[in-house]
Amino acid sequence: MPTPRMYRGALATAATLLLAGCASTNPDTALHASAGQARALAGVEPRLLRNDDDRRALAAEIDDLVRQPLSLDAAVRIAILNHPGLQAQYWDAGIAQADLAQASRLRNPSFGFSRMSGGGSVEIERGVSLDLAGLLTMPLRQRMAARRHEQATLQVAAAIERHAIATRRAWIEAVAAGQALDYARQVAAAADASSELMERMTLAGNASALDLARESSFHAEAGAAVLRAARARDAARERLTRQLGLWGAQAGYILPERLPDLPAQAVALSGIERLAIERRLDVRAARADAAGTAADLGLTRTTRMVNVLDLGYASKSETGEARSEGYEVSLELPLFDWGGARVARAEGLYMQALGRVAETAVNARSEARAGYLGYRASHDVARHYRDHVIPLRKKIAEETLLRYNGMLASPFELLADAREQAAAVHAAIEALKDFWLAEADLEAALGGRLPPSPSATHVHAHEHKEAQ
Amino acid sequence: MTNRRSFLTGAGVTMLGASLVSKAGAATLPEAPVHSSAATAAPLAPPSGRPYNPVVTLNGWTLPWRMKDGVKEFHLVAEPVVRELAPGMQANLWGYNGQSPGPTIEVVEGDRVRIFVTNKLPEHTSVHWHGQLLPCGMDGVTGLTQPGIQPGKTFVYEFVARHAGTFMYHPHADEMQQMAMGMMGFWVTHPKNPRQHAVDRDYVMLLSSYDIEPGSYTPRTNTMLDFNLWTINSRVFPGLDPMVARLGDKVRIRVGNLTMTNHPIHLHGHRFEVAGTDGGWVPKSARWPEVTTDVAVGQMRAIEFVADAPGDWAFHCHKSHHTMNAMGHDVPTLIGVDHRGVAEKINKLVPGYMVMGDKGGSMGDMKMPLPANTLPMMSGDGPFGNLEMGGMFTVLKVREGLARGDYRDPGWYRHPAGSVAREWTGDVPAPTSAPDARPAPAPAGQALDARKPGAKDGGGHHHH
Ligand SMILES: [Cu+2]
Repeated sequence: MPTPRMYRGALATAATLLLAGCASTNPDTALHASAGQARALAGVEPRLLRNDDDRRALAAEIDDLVRQPLSLDAAVRIAILNHPGLQAQYWDAGIAQADLAQASRLRNPSFGFSRMSGGGSVEIERGVSLDLAGLLTMPLRQRMAARRHEQATLQVAAAIERHAIATRRAWIEAVAAGQALDYARQVAAAADASSELMERMTLAGNASALDLARESSFHAEAGAAVLRAARARDAARERLTRQLGLWGAQAGYILPERLPDLPAQAVALSGIERLAIERRLDVRAARADAAGTAADLGLTRTTRMVNVLDLGYASKSETGEARSEGYEVSLELPLFDWGGARVARAEGLYMQALGRVAETAVNARSEARAGYLGYRASHDVARHYRDHVIPLRKKIAEETLLRYNGMLASPFELLADAREQAAAVHAAIEALKDFWLAEADLEAALGGRLPPSPSATHVHAHEHKEAQ
Repeated sequence: MTNRRSFLTGAGVTMLGASLVSKAGAATLPEAPVHSSAATAAPLAPPSGRPYNPVVTLNGWTLPWRMKDGVKEFHLVAEPVVRELAPGMQANLWGYNGQSPGPTIEVVEGDRVRIFVTNKLPEHTSVHWHGQLLPCGMDGVTGLTQPGIQPGKTFVYEFVARHAGTFMYHPHADEMQQMAMGMMGFWVTHPKNPRQHAVDRDYVMLLSSYDIEPGSYTPRTNTMLDFNLWTINSRVFPGLDPMVARLGDKVRIRVGNLTMTNHPIHLHGHRFEVAGTDGGWVPKSARWPEVTTDVAVGQMRAIEFVADAPGDWAFHCHKSHHTMNAMGHDVPTLIGVDHRGVAEKINKLVPGYMVMGDKGGSMGDMKMPLPANTLPMMSGDGPFGNLEMGGMFTVLKVREGLARGDYRDPGWYRHPAGSVAREWTGDVPAPTSAPDARPAPAPAGQALDARKPGAKDGGGHHHH
């Protein structure tokens, strides 16, 4: 039975915990914990929109950003600051923070007073009760809540990371779709010139209706390709707009005409698996989850006999009677439930969590390897297009023009070659797009931005320059 | 002797000597001279043997010989050569003694001739003496009359040149490839009596054709008809030298055709007689006058005329594609095609594009960059501008007061005053139309009315 001295000591402990302020309830502070992750991943610090002033400030910032062609970094910035879904999630950090704070506090002592009268007698009952069990188990609960808080922090950070990566992908797809539309228009222009020339040839009597129909049908199909490319461009753009969480006038942002150039060299990385294990949020979350379940397991073990322990201070006075004071304890008797099942369940959950950690780590390693191989390979492909395919197409174009000069080739051959050139350029753009997507995938697989390549210009520094 | 021979060209006949043939054979083999210039060599006056009036091989030369025990000994070396078809274009060909066509062989009726043939080609070869009457075993048909001359081997042919006339030599081994690569040469057997059929100038030429892709150097030997280079002695205009004659000279031109089509050879300003065919000399009474004579495949013609008209006279094959250099045979006709608006569209896609052909094929004086090693389709500057010719085309230049044996280009003809076509600057009367003149065709760009047959009035519909 705790003595009054004991409970005074417990109260002092509780007071200390409260004063230590290790668990603030400020949601901004809560988000700050996730923000560190977000900065590493996206270079942007998320912030909560708490009121109209915050919203107006952000709107002004976005207005500034959309005044010029929207760079990749600007897109990621807008997405992280502005996306309503992310904003909703940011409050999770606050909620977990509050939970942690709650776990650090004792339930308020309750004061009970009852007055009963009947038959000329009045019975007054006064009682102050304190959550003593809560006080006793506080360190355990606090540890648990701290882990849950860490999990929530990681989850918010993971949401930011996912969103940043998805935004980058959407931006790359949208810019590439714009370029693909340009390509389709170029092909259509070549087809247009071809069919118009053939029409003139027909009018002059130099070509047949069959020749004209053939050229015109090619032109018509090229027109259909333009419509399809425009549709794809619009869809890609809308996907990006959703990622950015923009609407209204701000949704009228313009995009750069071209993807950033291929970096001179792919970043050379060693120890990518280690990097992934260290930095990836899913690995860290799985670990935190396992640690949390371990704590839960410990708590369950400790409290299985004392399920609910209420310690109360009771003071009872009856009219005409001497005031009586005392305390009361209610104890659940482990008569039917010894808590064994709960412990077994907690153990199962813990083992499950350990399994998930292992799985996550194995997947993370493989994804890091695959991401890196994909990144290097797509760099090779894009470089091949840039250094070999495109220069050769240019050479072919030059040589075809020389043949045209010598009346060895016709304007139709020039135009057919222009179409093929556009196709090669399109393939080169696709290769460049694949590279940037592979880079985004690699960063997702590594849980952070790529370190600068020692032998080349930093990829992102280069990219910034290109995109702005 | 060889240096004197090349006074016109200042270029090179060199003795190859022992380096070309094996040391063991050197003692018995005559030297094999090599000629590297594409200019016309002066006629080779016979230094030994019976006298004759030598011929001039246009942009070519005559093979020197040696007399040994009364036999004329020649040495031909079959080998890969690089032939300049015209300045700015070289072709990887196969030929003899440094050139394609090989050197002209000149002998006299009744000469006993011994010809050594060394094969420096990567495959076997043989030489067929086209038109000669000789022992069957000397006819040079691989498999039929002799085994092929394997690479590195030397064969010897020996026969008597029985009849005066105009002949050729070429391989009869893997003929299709070897002739498409330029293996051929001219042969002239002069009459015993130099005064018989004597002319003042005797030009010889072989017609051959090549298909060399623009930008490449080696003929496509599998082409059968669609050649893009029609050559005289493996040269094309403007790479061909003029044929020069003194006013009043009796001139003979001998033409052999080793292409895969006939060539109607046309000479301006003169009437000529076909004096010789593959079979020999045509009796005077049987000759007939012409200004164009068709030289069929595998045939030879000798035409003779008196150069009695001073001036610069075109001499060419009358197939107009044969007086062009490489051209796109699949290029559509653009004559009369209105390019307005379209040209700008094309230019946007193909920077550097210029409209050509809408007014015809003439490119005038446009000097456009071409693929490497490719001649303009037509070119060659004359005194009045671009000649717009290529291929089998050259000029007969007849001048007063040239020295005998002077073959130098005398420059452009100076026309007597008032003898050149000129612009009419007087009044032009209004044109009169014939009463039954058909309606003029609709100008380009204008909509045409089409009416369905049998449709009622007004039932026609408009096409665009
Ligand atoms: Cu011809």
